[in-house]
Amino acid sequence: MSHMPKKNRWQVCKHCGKHVHELQWAPYFRCPFCHYLQRLSVPQRLKISVDPESWQPMVLPKQTSDSLQFPGYQDKLKDAKKISGESEAIEIGTAKIDNYPVALGIMDSHFMMGTLNTAVGAALKQIMQVSLTQKIPLILFVASGGARMQEGIYSLLQMNSILNEWQALLDAKTLVINVLTDPTMGGVSASFGFKADYVLAEDKAQIGFAGKQVIAQTSHEILPANFQTAEDLLTHGLVDQIVPRERLRSSLATLLKLHRGK
Amino acid sequence: MPKKLEEKIALVRSAKRLSAQQVISQLITDFFEIHGDRQLGDDRALTAGLGFFHGRPVTLLGVNRGANIQQRQEMNAGAVRVTGYRKALRVIKTAEKFKRPVISMLNMPGADASVFSEQHGQSQAIADLILAMGQLTVPNVTLFLGEGHSGGALAFSNVNKILMLENALFSVASPEAVQAILKNQNQTRDASEYMPMTAQQLAGIGLVDGIIAETPAKTLYERIDAGLLAALKRLESLDADALKRQRQQKFARLLSC
Ligand SMILES: [Zn+2]
Repeated sequence: MSHMPKKNRWQVCKHCGKHVHELQWAPYFRCPFCHYLQRLSVPQRLKISVDPESWQPMVLPKQTSDSLQFPGYQDKLKDAKKISGESEAIEIGTAKIDNYPVALGIMDSHFMMGTLNTAVGAALKQIMQVSLTQKIPLILFVASGGARMQEGIYSLLQMNSILNEWQALLDAKTLVINVLTDPTMGGVSASFGFKADYVLAEDKAQIGFAGKQVIAQTSHEILPANFQTAEDLLTHGLVDQIVPRERLRSSLATLLKLHRGK
Repeated sequence: MPKKLEEKIALVRSAKRLSAQQVISQLITDFFEIHGDRQLGDDRALTAGLGFFHGRPVTLLGVNRGANIQQRQEMNAGAVRVTGYRKALRVIKTAEKFKRPVISMLNMPGADASVFSEQHGQSQAIADLILAMGQLTVPNVTLFLGEGHSGGALAFSNVNKILMLENALFSVASPEAVQAILKNQNQTRDASEYMPMTAQQLAGIGLVDGIIAETPAKTLYERIDAGLLAALKRLESLDADALKRQRQQKFARLLSC
């Protein structure tokens, strides 16, 4: 919870601006006044999603690479580590949900907006392999602004290199569930984001390809009020179900049970 | 003397830039155009169809920006819509059935940015095309005639061989978007000095398999013809599994360095 201010037990809701006490936030981090969800850290996500003590984190297979020595990237990474408490924008590992073993990938929007780079891409390929070889379902909690610009074409090529390997996962008789959380955008949404047997979304999550500002500037359109929300995607038939965070764990458990944990 | 990024951008965005439609009319005989995605409409930015290339049937996917104001409007200036990705997907499935190689030719800013494309699943359409191009059981080759950025361009270039005209560009985002981040860092040099995006740079890292010189202009079609033919020749002995593996390894190798 390192992105939360220490000692301060009150936190302002980013949506309605009201001060909310930490006891009222935990454990689902839904504002009691406006009902908007806060973005979760990996530990917060784990706490409400998997069986206690079942999380077995794995070391990320690839460290962050600054091969382009892009100006400002090192500072951004340093800040991201401090803010998120993570070494990169994803954690991978195995856990149990209602005693069903699962392979998990959890992205963290507090680390450079969960952007996809070579390290995150390698981690995703790794957890896919774990799911394949151990024959356990894969659940991805997606949170990402898209490809990480600072790694240029190497970030872009994660999209196709992940999908080039993803087919093996889609062909295997192993269950894959993606949970789209706020935000799921750009190169993540347009690669593995929707490539699952079931695509669930948290309520009010922003999900789309191009950013709202870019769309408004390029198309000169007035954007609909609920544009790029999980609710709008559901209306247009683009996600299977919106699952409020409070019911997410039991929904995942039900899906696992319906597939007998495979 | 190599051109500066600014000059390259001006060249590839010019109304006079060589278009996919022009290349098709010069190098392809009996071209038969295919319209529509069978769901929502027909994206005019994408010219799709089949024809003979050196006596052999091939499938063509050409993204055009348009040569005048009216065409630019019709073609959404080359920003392929959700309908374009789905049309492409449909057309490459038929190519697979009839064992025809697929040639893509691109000059596009990136994917469409509109309410329509978003609400009709542009993300999934792009992902579906990337995935299908990677798993294609017939050879696929992409020629960048101009620029191509973001996942929108990548959907057409998850292929066995990538060729670029010498002033073409391929990047994670438009040079302007990269420049905007750099400006925040008080960096004012060309975006391409910080990240590979030119044909020469991308050949250097092993992403691009061949660069086609743009001068002398008189013989450009001949060089494009020879380049595409050579690329297809090198792939014709590979079976379906070998083609998939070659694509997978091409990108994996590049990312492992
Ligand atoms: Zn609130």
